[in-house]
Amino acid sequence: MRAPSRKAAARGVAFAASPVLAVRLPAWRSRVALFLLFAAFVALAARAFWLQAVSTEFLQKKGASRYARTLDLPAVRGKILDRNGEVMATSLPVKAIWAVPDSVNASPEKLQKLAQLLDISSQELKKKLESDSNFVYLKRQVEIEAVDQVLALDIPGIHTKPEYKRFYPAGQVAAHVLGFTSVEDKGQEGMELAQQSTLGGITGSRRVIRDNLGRVVDDIALLREPQDGRDLTLSIDSKIQYIAFTHLQQAIEKNKAKAGGIVVIDVKTGEVLALANMPTYNPNSRVGLTGAQLRNRVFTDTYEPGSTLKPFTVALALEKGLVTPSTILDTPGKLTIGPSTIGDSHQHAASLSVSQIIQQSSNVGTVRMAQKLEPRQMWDMFSAVGFGQPPRVGFPGAVAGRMRPYKTWRPIEQATMSYGHGISVSLIQVARSYMIFARNGEMIPLSFQKVSQLPAPQRVISDKTAHQMRDMMELVVGPGGTAPLAQVRGYRVAGKTGTAHKLENGHYVNKYVASFVGLAPASNPRIIIAVMIDEPGAGKHFGGLVAAPLFSSVAASTLSSLNVPPDASVSNVIMPAEPIAESM
Amino acid sequence: MSNRTILSLVSLLMICALLLVNSQFQARRLFIELERSQLRQKELETEWSQLQLDQSMLAKHARVDTLARTSLGMSSPGAGKTQYLTAGAK
Repeated sequence: MRAPSRKAAARGVAFAASPVLAVRLPAWRSRVALFLLFAAFVALAARAFWLQAVSTEFLQKKGASRYARTLDLPAVRGKILDRNGEVMATSLPVKAIWAVPDSVNASPEKLQKLAQLLDISSQELKKKLESDSNFVYLKRQVEIEAVDQVLALDIPGIHTKPEYKRFYPAGQVAAHVLGFTSVEDKGQEGMELAQQSTLGGITGSRRVIRDNLGRVVDDIALLREPQDGRDLTLSIDSKIQYIAFTHLQQAIEKNKAKAGGIVVIDVKTGEVLALANMPTYNPNSRVGLTGAQLRNRVFTDTYEPGSTLKPFTVALALEKGLVTPSTILDTPGKLTIGPSTIGDSHQHAASLSVSQIIQQSSNVGTVRMAQKLEPRQMWDMFSAVGFGQPPRVGFPGAVAGRMRPYKTWRPIEQATMSYGHGISVSLIQVARSYMIFARNGEMIPLSFQKVSQLPAPQRVISDKTAHQMRDMMELVVGPGGTAPLAQVRGYRVAGKTGTAHKLENGHYVNKYVASFVGLAPASNPRIIIAVMIDEPGAGKHFGGLVAAPLFSSVAASTLSSLNVPPDASVSNVIMPAEPIAESM
Repeated sequence: MSNRTILSLVSLLMICALLLVNSQFQARRLFIELERSQLRQKELETEWSQLQLDQSMLAKHARVDTLARTSLGMSSPGAGKTQYLTAGAK
């Protein structure tokens, strides 16, 4: 194309005469220009369509992310209350302190101070801050006062995150009943685990609009309603729990025992009023816990109950009309069944009445009654009172114990089982089984939660048999029985001692489990208390000497705490010079 | 349409627009207040839990028992020292 002459323009050539117009351009050039313009418009339209119709969602999302936020709505875990509404476990807000290691920049003194506030060593803190990740917890569950002090240090790169911590005001006293939770607020043991679905809250979330200062100015939507966990009211009475725990602790110390357990049951409702184990732990600071401390022996440890099972054999014999309390049976010192010999560990008359057999805990006498019974009858009796099946109380780790099917019983096995050997049970099972004596022949299920509606009872033995058994078991704590130390001033009590060798690798060893199960007041039972002392090491090992005193002291305090009127005069306690040693 | 109708409609529109602005503002203000109250509610709930815990801590049987026995020199009365009253008895 020829450039137009500047000179010509300057001289003011008329427009129509401009030489530029005279230039003849090829026709395709204007077409190309037109096409390019058109194509540009098409491109714009396509782009507009793309933004408006195709990628709208993506763009709207991007836009919303500038002002809308999803906030978590924390839910609080439910409290655990005792039967009188006293708090046994509660969650309080605390903070986790975390850091972005790369952006932490502080003087060594400040870091020293930080380590001190977080109660960790400087080396540990340093190690955490040298980590490669860009998120590291410095410490979790820090209480608010300490958090404020940490934030006052004003170290860049240190942040906090709200969380909850569980507090147990009763500490070790109720450790095994309550259990504990993890740092994530999930139940790990005890009721915390068993009732996780009730106690645990569900975190909610909501969409909000925030202004430039970060304040929430509008709700867009509630995505999920937060649900606080429900409070749980236990059957436990924290006063009786304290009584049971402290007395158990003292008994364990006094007898230099390895372990022990105690359970107190309300006869009228089946509620567990107290349950304690030794050794125990403090659920508020669980550092260096051992399995022995964590074990809830009342539920998870089975042992051969020994003589505490005799009343069931005797009750069955009474129920079937084979004997009466005054029936006299021959009780030689030794009884041979097949290849084995059964004996008693104390001297007694060559013939004893059924009452005396219970009172003096005679193995031979009990076996004489068992020999009149069918294996199936005994098995039915033991099953009816709950042996051989896990107690349905909704407690984690509750065991069934071991009771072999009656078809495989040999005569010697039936004989030993009648006095509590060759069968294994847990303490809670034994405690519950005594309900048939305390409730005049009926059984009701146990409960760890406060009962509002009484469950339907199931009859196992007749009212008459239950009363006769109670009278016999009252003789046990009398002057001629195995457990005079179980007597309680002002109250009539009934119970049965148990002393059993422990089984280790299938052999009986010279270690003992001393136990006592009793009910009080005997005239109209209100509570059942079962105690077990594992491996007493201070010279005494009989249930009547080791476990009975513990029963007595707990029963005395519990009855007065429950405002149970006394059913005997205060001078009812008669101590013999030498109680009768129990048979094993 | 006459000029007057147009004018009155325009002014009506303006008034509505201003009212909308105002009510939006009010809504935000109230919303912030609601937020603040809800926060306060949460705080009070926490405080209530804290106080309940404190109460349990201070009234826990282990503490009461020790205090009664050591600093107050008390002991629990046995059955022999207790006078029992029966309801309805004379």
